[in-house]
Amino acid sequence: MSGALARAAGGGKMADESPFRRNIRLFLSSRLSTVSAAVVLGFVVLAVAAPLFAPQDPNETDLLRRLQPPVWMAGGEWGYLLGCDALGRDILSRIIYGARISIFIGIFVVLMATCIGIVAGLAAGYLRGWTDVVISRLVDILLGFPYLIFAIALIAMMGPGLQNLLLALVYKEWVVPCRLVRGETLAAREVEYVEAARALGASRRHIMLREILPNILSPVIVVSTIRVAHVIILEASLSFLGLGVQPPTASWGSMVADGRSYMLESWWVSTFPGLAILLLVLAINVASQGLRDAFDPKFHD
Amino acid sequence: MRKRLISLMAAAAISVPVAVQAGELRIGYTTDALTLDPHNHRNRTTQTIIRNMYDGLVTRDSNMKVVPQLAEYLKVIDKTTYEVKLQAGATFHDGSPITAEDVKYTFERLTKDGAIGGKTSPRKSLVGPVKRVDVIDARTARIILETPWPQFPAFLTLHEIVSKKFTEAQGADGLSTKVMGSGPFKLVEWRKGDLIIMERYDGYYGGSPALPPQAKACSERVIFKIIPENASRVAALLAGDVDLINDLPAHAISQVKNNPNTDVVTVNGTRSYFIAMNSETGPFADKRVRQAVSHAIDRQLIIDRIMNGNGTLIDGILSPDAFGKNKNLPRLAYDPAKAKSLMAVAGYPNGIEVVLDVKSELKEIAEAIGSLLTKAGIRTQVQVGEVSQLRKKWRTKGKPKTGDLWITSWGNGTLDPVGIFVPTHRTDDRGNSAGYANAEFDALLDAAGIEPDTAKRAALYQKAEAMATNDAPYAYLWVTKDLYGVSRRLTGFRPSSDGRINLHDACVK
Amino acid sequence: MSFGKLIERLAQLIPVLLGVSVIVFFMMALTPGDPVEIMIGDSNVTLEQEARLRSDLGLDRPPVERFFVFLKNAVSGDFGLSFYHRRPVSEVIAERLPATIELSLVALLLALFTSVPLGVLAAVWKNTFLDRLATVGSLFGVSLPGFWFGILLLMLFSVRLHILPVSGRIGYEFEVAPITHLLLIDTLLQGRFDAFANALKHIIMPAVVLGLPMAAILTRVTRTSMLEVLSQDYIIFAEAKGLSRRRILVRHALKNALIPTVTVAALQTGSLLGGNMIVETVFGWPGLGRLVVESIFLRNYPLVQAAVLLYAVTYVTLNFLADILYTVLNPRVRL
Repeated sequence: MSGALARAAGGGKMADESPFRRNIRLFLSSRLSTVSAAVVLGFVVLAVAAPLFAPQDPNETDLLRRLQPPVWMAGGEWGYLLGCDALGRDILSRIIYGARISIFIGIFVVLMATCIGIVAGLAAGYLRGWTDVVISRLVDILLGFPYLIFAIALIAMMGPGLQNLLLALVYKEWVVPCRLVRGETLAAREVEYVEAARALGASRRHIMLREILPNILSPVIVVSTIRVAHVIILEASLSFLGLGVQPPTASWGSMVADGRSYMLESWWVSTFPGLAILLLVLAINVASQGLRDAFDPKFHD
Repeated sequence: MRKRLISLMAAAAISVPVAVQAGELRIGYTTDALTLDPHNHRNRTTQTIIRNMYDGLVTRDSNMKVVPQLAEYLKVIDKTTYEVKLQAGATFHDGSPITAEDVKYTFERLTKDGAIGGKTSPRKSLVGPVKRVDVIDARTARIILETPWPQFPAFLTLHEIVSKKFTEAQGADGLSTKVMGSGPFKLVEWRKGDLIIMERYDGYYGGSPALPPQAKACSERVIFKIIPENASRVAALLAGDVDLINDLPAHAISQVKNNPNTDVVTVNGTRSYFIAMNSETGPFADKRVRQAVSHAIDRQLIIDRIMNGNGTLIDGILSPDAFGKNKNLPRLAYDPAKAKSLMAVAGYPNGIEVVLDVKSELKEIAEAIGSLLTKAGIRTQVQVGEVSQLRKKWRTKGKPKTGDLWITSWGNGTLDPVGIFVPTHRTDDRGNSAGYANAEFDALLDAAGIEPDTAKRAALYQKAEAMATNDAPYAYLWVTKDLYGVSRRLTGFRPSSDGRINLHDACVK
Repeated sequence: MSFGKLIERLAQLIPVLLGVSVIVFFMMALTPGDPVEIMIGDSNVTLEQEARLRSDLGLDRPPVERFFVFLKNAVSGDFGLSFYHRRPVSEVIAERLPATIELSLVALLLALFTSVPLGVLAAVWKNTFLDRLATVGSLFGVSLPGFWFGILLLMLFSVRLHILPVSGRIGYEFEVAPITHLLLIDTLLQGRFDAFANALKHIIMPAVVLGLPMAAILTRVTRTSMLEVLSQDYIIFAEAKGLSRRRILVRHALKNALIPTVTVAALQTGSLLGGNMIVETVFGWPGLGRLVVESIFLRNYPLVQAAVLLYAVTYVTLNFLADILYTVLNPRVRL
């Protein structure tokens, strides 16, 4: 993604550029979108190269530093910029490592869900009949469950841990792209070139994957980026309820949860990880809105 | 519609808001009662609330001694027969006297299968082998046991007497929301999940003769306000919204003490904390590895820093206040180098990978311990689980277990070794999560269990505790203090080791 | 929508609700952990007593049989006994439900009353400061993690400034006779304005936290649809005819522009009901969400089943209403 962005930004040809390139150029022409994309990218770099950026070992406890305040307050230290949590761990380092969990879960869940959703949505929308009835009913049923309750119940069933957390989110998340793809497919299947391909005797697989899919991908990508933000908040909420990744792995949601009991006298323990969630999710939301504005033909002049 | 509205207005005119009264006592409490039926729950916090509206035949004084409450006396007739005589002026909240028939009815409700609307009381197993209750006269009853059971009076403190007439009139579910007790307070209103409001019962007989003053309650109104969030509960106390909070987090102590209007009250708890080590299979089958765990943990540091000093280190399972405590146990002191060398001798020079199970309440302490263990080469992954998952993993009664380490606790309200030593250490007993099995040790416990001579009995337990500490099936940690935040205007509140909140004499001046 | 079509839509709800029941039932049945074991904890209980407790709760029968018993009883509105409260589940839920409904309604109203004017004005004054403010505001609204934002509000308004209460629905000193069980309405019906103000103080923070994401979404929906309507031929035509701008906005544009807003609001209300356990936890709000989460951990199967079914019914009904609203409001869809 970042490579594509760079290339698109470098290429300045306006006349005969591909629609994709033009969309990217449109996206980058908005200052707000560019800044937010840079923030998201910054978080990704931070997460990937966490050991390079984190000033301390995120899991190193030191009870003598318990609840040490941030550097600008009395008792703060430069090595522990944002202060320490109840076990004397460096909050900044834990936020940096926590970015790994948030970003990984956000991207992985949405990627998996989108793949499943595309397959199911294409099948339902193109094949119609019983396939559609079964898939659509399943989607309706899953939509009937509140997201958090569904995830909590699933984690209670499967036990805690990263893998089960991912599964619990994917099981429900795929419904979103599936509904979208199904709707788009229903519309696309009546379009001329699809009918032409069918008349020429193209296989169903060919039509679905080669004719329809490329033409409905744009909205799917736009929705997926928004969903990444959504999933990050969901993961944080589950961690907040104590159902996220297991300790000592730093996760923003559980950092907020662990710190809330100290809020009265040590406000920094929960405030900074919460700010991190806000910043990343906000950046993703702004960027994806920019993407939508750029990719949605309705917004082109 | 309009007519209805007018009549509503009229009704509203009568029900003016109750002004904040003097003599009102507000408690910020962690959890709501599940039910108000004293016989239809299995929940300590529920009982704490209920007990202020219902009295029992006996109760405990502040030294945890069993003393009569509704009873004038509880007499042992023979090994299986106890006689109770009810106090003369004791009445239910409707003014009707409490009779031996109510005692009989209470025990039937507690022990008969299907007695509560076709369901059996979940408290049945806390009553003991009660066979029947004979009514001698209006105020005297005899409780007959199937088999001798010396702990009967201690367990009798857990049960409250209900009114036969009221309960039968209300039907099976009636007591779950309505109260006809004999305690110092009557129920006014229960707003589920939010508040329980009680008011003084002016006809109160005065309660236990062993707990003066024998008078009606000091406060006119008592309000339990449910505030589950720690920070909110502390904030409510600091702001003067409540006069008493339970479960004060240790880190808030200085804040509560520094506030001119609030203070901290503590009481020695009776709950021992320890780490169970799976002695059946894996590395912890080796005693040296188990000892290494104790050497790797700086218990005093955790007590000082995380618990703000509100704990007492233990070297065996018994609390320092317990009967038969061995005061000369060897200490497996903090010594990471020794821990590493023990590991090396046991054949793990490069350390081991283990999982430390914990319930969410102890997560912070588990993480602190996990990181200390990791430093000593016992690379620990903390895993927060729910009770049910942990029970599957750490099966007792001789069934195989699958865990490595489990930080847990066991309460011992009676402070008698029987309540904690036998379940956690006797071979295949119900709380023996470590899988400790030592025939010689079992024999000592069994001998102590039937030894009538107090001094000899204590000596047997001391010997047993030394043996257990040497075998190190558990890493013994500490006994905690229970912390309460109180308003400085609150008088007459004495916290109790069993976690009950007795509000009879408590009042805000 | 014709009557036949209506019936058909209604009939489609049945397999959905059935599917939800099946999933939630077997999810709970497959969840490891035994409610009886959790209930008795560490205490000494004989095997016979344990078996008795289990049969009291109906847990001694195989899951499939239990499922059909559950279904049969559920149809007649009987969801069994809550294991821990030992009272009918329907009763326990009914006690907690008004608090949740009240909170959701207030959040919904807050969201509607902020988002509609903001969205409309942002569209009318496109690319002005207000438009940008609405955009940024709505982006913040969907990005704020509710549990964190709630804690911050609590610390600020309740603890530091001490102008709002820490938790609960209404001060204990107010006893309000229940009519609708919604305190804000009951207090007004009885003319108890002090009690009303007190209840309002209690609900305001949780309602803001709960309603914020919805307000953000609705602002964007309103703005987009308003923009779309304003670019329609009939509006341009009206403008050309020389009608006043204000008249055009109120008489023609607004009515059509609000169709998507109302539809989305109806759909989102379902997620308000299901998404408030976090808010309820943070603010000690005595509602259903907190109870359901506790019940999952305690393996209180009957309560979880009934509550999830309730959520599903609500969702499905709101969805259905949204469809009808959409057809009724939008003349173009009526065909």
